[in-house]
Amino acid sequence: MSKGKAVWDWEINSKTSFWGHGIPELWSYRHLMVGLVRRHFLLNYQQTVLGPLWILFQPILTLFTYVLVFNKIVGIQTGSIPPVVFYASGIVLWNFFSESFTGTASTFKDNAQLFGKVYFPRIIMPISVINTHALRLLIQLLLLFMVVGYYSIFSSFSIHFNIWILAFPFTIILIGIFGLALGLLFSVITAKYRDITNLVTLGVRLFMFITPVIYPLSTVPENLRWLVQLNPLTPLFELFRLSLLGEGYITSYQLLYSVVITLLVLVGATLLFNKQGDKLIDVV
Amino acid sequence: MPEVVIEVDRLYKKYNLGTIGTGSFRQDLQRWWTTAIVKKQDPFFQTDNSPEARKKSILALQDISFEVKHGEAIGIIGSNGSGKSTLLKIISRIVRPTHGTVRGRGKVSSLLEVGTGFHPELTGRENIYISGYILGMSKAEIKTKFDEIVAFSGVNDFIDTPVKRYSSGMYVRLAFAVAAHLEPDILIVDEVLAVGDADFQKKCLGKMREVSQSNGRTILFVSHSMQAIKNLCDKAMWLNKGKMQAFGEVAGVVNKYLTTVQQAKLKQSWDVPQTAPGNEWVRMRSVELIPHLENPDEPLDIRVPLTVKFSFWNMHDNMYLSAGLHLFTPAGECIFDVPSPSRICDKGIVEGECYIPGNLLNDGPYYFSMVIVKDTSVPLFNFEECLTFELDDYRENIQWYGKWWGAVRPKLPFHLTQTESVLL
Repeated sequence: MSKGKAVWDWEINSKTSFWGHGIPELWSYRHLMVGLVRRHFLLNYQQTVLGPLWILFQPILTLFTYVLVFNKIVGIQTGSIPPVVFYASGIVLWNFFSESFTGTASTFKDNAQLFGKVYFPRIIMPISVINTHALRLLIQLLLLFMVVGYYSIFSSFSIHFNIWILAFPFTIILIGIFGLALGLLFSVITAKYRDITNLVTLGVRLFMFITPVIYPLSTVPENLRWLVQLNPLTPLFELFRLSLLGEGYITSYQLLYSVVITLLVLVGATLLFNKQGDKLIDVV
Repeated sequence: MPEVVIEVDRLYKKYNLGTIGTGSFRQDLQRWWTTAIVKKQDPFFQTDNSPEARKKSILALQDISFEVKHGEAIGIIGSNGSGKSTLLKIISRIVRPTHGTVRGRGKVSSLLEVGTGFHPELTGRENIYISGYILGMSKAEIKTKFDEIVAFSGVNDFIDTPVKRYSSGMYVRLAFAVAAHLEPDILIVDEVLAVGDADFQKKCLGKMREVSQSNGRTILFVSHSMQAIKNLCDKAMWLNKGKMQAFGEVAGVVNKYLTTVQQAKLKQSWDVPQTAPGNEWVRMRSVELIPHLENPDEPLDIRVPLTVKFSFWNMHDNMYLSAGLHLFTPAGECIFDVPSPSRICDKGIVEGECYIPGNLLNDGPYYFSMVIVKDTSVPLFNFEECLTFELDDYRENIQWYGKWWGAVRPKLPFHLTQTESVLL
């Protein structure tokens, strides 16, 4: 019956691989990835009055609230950076991370119906979600640049571009990767153990408070700073502000720590996703 | 000789029953420990059918092995829950088998539902693209076939309208149109034709026929319509409770399936009046449906004349009795109510029979109920659903594969003549 494995194009058995799909197979589904990104955009703004403008309204409204609450009422100092610029940068970057993470963490739960009816590499789905949020980030970055530009022209705040500007795209990519990696990890866990879903939404909200989104790391008391620095996102947020606004608190050790943790989580989560992905269809 | 494109080797699929949650994490750890570290067999995989094992899990597929050659169309039949869809899902790479291997050559596309990847908020045009991508088409492929797809679906005017505003018929037509233009080497189709109207079903079957016959593609096809299976497929596989009951040339397998499924319900009989259904007036002794077939293995189709034979114990002397036969569809509509002539009967056994000519009923399931009546008006005993049977479809020289309309399908004298031949 068997004529040797070499003559077959594909084989399905009970073993799932850690390595998942080869790059050629993923490449052949690139149109699906683009199509899904398009679909995310279309669906979000279908039948809304403001349409894609919501991409900008959401951070603007958040910005007003944060400046009012954290700066005017609570009185958090933002160093030499004007509060509006400081919060704008934090909000845009944090939105990217949190939406990437929560958007991918429910991959299996949200797509159970589709995954049960047709085969395609499952990882295409979370990758398309990340790309959707990356595109939105690009649009929001324009807003951020406008805010920075406004303040550097009409106020005493001036940006001195330095070599760190090169790190700007690097921080964004790394934060995207960290969001995807955590999302992949939690997509597998939430598919199996549903109560984790609640933990994801709650956790991401609390996680923001140990990330320098609403305060600069330099204002954190020395004895608590280690807690914030344990968070691999902290150096990335500080580096982001350093590269764009010229002020951030970062050492190369911390940066190395972030990069290593991010890559470790990515590799681990991808392996787990590949290994478990095909089995989860029976469970969700 | 055509090459083998799919080889299924000792396939098993086990599903756990009950809720997954409490304790499953512990089980996962235990399974991981025994299979990955101690290198023993999965402690939760068992092929035995002990009552305890059956309670926890069900084997949806058991020891399935077969080969499919290039260009073959294979029909998969079996009652609900026999594992047909599970088998298709494994070959489509949607779920993993618990044991066993499937090997194959060429690109596989599966059509397990109509409208996979469709989103109601998106327009027809957007849905064609996204659904096409999801089913494995490339952008260039969709672009070249786009006009063809729209034409096939017949929704030209609404192509830029969100599909949620479509009628359900339009939605299904558009969804199938995308799927119909897939060009895989192996096409896997589940019972998707159950949706849609007769006209649509006809179009789909026609398209599938075209695909399998002219384009030489390999097809795996699940259907409950024996007519469709017979028309489309060269070979058939009969699954029964996860096991392969028969595999081979289509007519043989279909007939075997139909006769086995039907036999059990065609006869009922009782040895003594005490255990028989009935009351103090009458007790049923036997009821039987006898098809007039030359060969008992032939299928029971609409051409076959039937005889209903019954007998009962009459418990009283000097009774003026008659019987009535009621034929119903499963939906409970009465097709006919035929009374027997009445006669005086004494204590003892009374027999009766009724002949139902062939070419009268339509294809499909039916059931008989009986009533025994005193003095032409007083029902003594109603015997509900005493016989159930299903008539197979039969068509000759008719290029129409949809469900035939009507509760009956009598062969009536019907003429079509041309009286004049003039150019208008």
